[in-house]
Amino acid sequence: MKNTKNRPENKNHYVERFTKGWAIYIKNPMGKAGLIILLIFMLMAIASFFVPLLGPVYDPMTGADPNITYSTGPSFQHWLGTDFIGRDLFVQLLEGAKVAFIVGLSCAFISVVLGTAIGMISGYAGGIIDTLLMRVADIFMVLPSLVILLILASLWELSIWVIIFIIAIMRWPSVSRIIRSQTLSLKSRPFIEASRVAGASNFRIIFKHIMPNVLPLAFLYMTFRVTSAILVEAALSFLGFGDPGQVSWGMMLQWVWSSGHMFQAPYWLLPPGICISLLTLSFYMLGRAMDEVLDPRLRKEGEGE
Amino acid sequence: MKTKKFIFNKLIEITILFFIILTILFFLFRAAPGDPITRMVDPNLTPEDIQHLIAQMGLDQPAWKQYIIYIKNFFTGNLGHSFHYGAPVSSIILNRMPCTILLFTTSTLLAAFVGVFLGKIAAWKKGSRLDNFLSIGALLCHTLFIPWFALLVLWILAYKVGWFPLGGIISPELWIWDTSIFIKVLDVLHHMFLPLLTLFIIHLGSYLLLMRSSMLGVIKEEYIITARAKGLSDKVIRDKHAARNAALPVITSVGLSLAFSINGGALTEQIFTWPGIGRELIFAVSNNDYPLAQACFLLITAVVLIANLIVDLLYAYMDPRIKY
Repeated sequence: MKNTKNRPENKNHYVERFTKGWAIYIKNPMGKAGLIILLIFMLMAIASFFVPLLGPVYDPMTGADPNITYSTGPSFQHWLGTDFIGRDLFVQLLEGAKVAFIVGLSCAFISVVLGTAIGMISGYAGGIIDTLLMRVADIFMVLPSLVILLILASLWELSIWVIIFIIAIMRWPSVSRIIRSQTLSLKSRPFIEASRVAGASNFRIIFKHIMPNVLPLAFLYMTFRVTSAILVEAALSFLGFGDPGQVSWGMMLQWVWSSGHMFQAPYWLLPPGICISLLTLSFYMLGRAMDEVLDPRLRKEGEGE
Repeated sequence: MKTKKFIFNKLIEITILFFIILTILFFLFRAAPGDPITRMVDPNLTPEDIQHLIAQMGLDQPAWKQYIIYIKNFFTGNLGHSFHYGAPVSSIILNRMPCTILLFTTSTLLAAFVGVFLGKIAAWKKGSRLDNFLSIGALLCHTLFIPWFALLVLWILAYKVGWFPLGGIISPELWIWDTSIFIKVLDVLHHMFLPLLTLFIIHLGSYLLLMRSSMLGVIKEEYIITARAKGLSDKVIRDKHAARNAALPVITSVGLSLAFSINGGALTEQIFTWPGIGRELIFAVSNNDYPLAQACFLLITAVVLIANLIVDLLYAYMDPRIKY
């Protein structure tokens, strides 16, 4: 009964919290800049869906310009030039934005869901379950993900989705550590005690009472996970172990490097690297600005300036 | 006494961890499609040599016996025979190890010292133009895509300007003749500069940001106010009171960011053709030289685990409040 009464108020409360948070967020120059860069990349990713409609020449993977047989510089037909078999670099760059978003967001989503679930269970259950889960987290935490992916790539041919999944598996521990400590502090609060006395099951307490309180934090960590996932996937593609059927920024750099064009074709070398660095920077700035919204201690520090 | 017990516990923990990794690797190499014999033994050898190697690694035995032999071989340093080099893997790895350690420790230590120093100054002059410049610069360094930055450095400083060699660790023509040791050292340093610069810049950002935020937290502490009230000079408070305490979290982060550093190290070695473990791993993986890949992987894991232990100990030593 108590619950049904509280529900609409709760919703309003969330909306209010969001608008308040947004007001703080948008005041932060770092958050604003990050958001603008991110929007530009989103536009690029959306554009990549429409560009191949212009004709088979503008397909990022197979669309070689029949009039061009070597790498050429920027021109009216090909804004950033072409690679060694006449594929348009700008189209590849757009496609790369799409792949980077897919890799970054899905990796971050999987690892944050996994990390949040494990962190909540670990913190709530305590005892031997807690110890075991955190030991496993330790193992994953110390292992360099790129090296693991390299070893796996030597044994199997990895498709883009397998790569995404492996990166996600490597990245949950740091999330679950934060969520665990948050859960531990929540566990001792009176409202959890009250719901337990009222007869709520463990399952209900975790999902109904603890989860809403750790979700903002989990969301914050998602932005940081996006950054590292994009970087690892790009590095793997750069080394030549990415999905061979998928154009990405890492792959573009791999092509310019392995085809020996890196000293001759700056129009080919520069854009993918700038894009990777800028996109990760924007997600990082987003995360830092959100950190300020969630952590009032940091905010005060900012206002003191 | 307690520290000894702590070290002992940590060592046991690390050993167990390493065993788990060793076991997982064993199963991974057998779960992959294809025959483990063709994977672990070079098919281009003579039949007798192949038989000898199969017997040595127990590849004709049942799986559980293979596992025991695998563990035993590991501890006697017999990691198999490299396809490409036609030499025992252990000798190749021991050969590459010093190069990696040289590059890795120099860049990490340099970046940590400079990062802590600059972070300290940035936090002390918070909000100033210098602070803004350092923070934004560090942020850019922190999110750079390592291979791309390395290629850029190579393109500008080695190809365009020509101040530095394009890769490798020595110029062979210098080493044929009996040149003095001084020239040889200079030659190695000359080759090391570009990879060192790349790793330094990339690590500098994270150390600077970390030190800055840690320092900002410390400055608010009461003992800093006390120190000011005592009339100590600005410099003394900054260096002796604030920075020493603020540097502690930076040390833990060295351990935590080690995995990241190793990724970066492998990429940098690959681009500057620096003959280290990371480049060897990438080489082995692209040429299907499985014994070599496996050995490089195990060595990197061992180094990561040991380095984590060292960081833990260093932290305990630096912060006397921590009792294990």
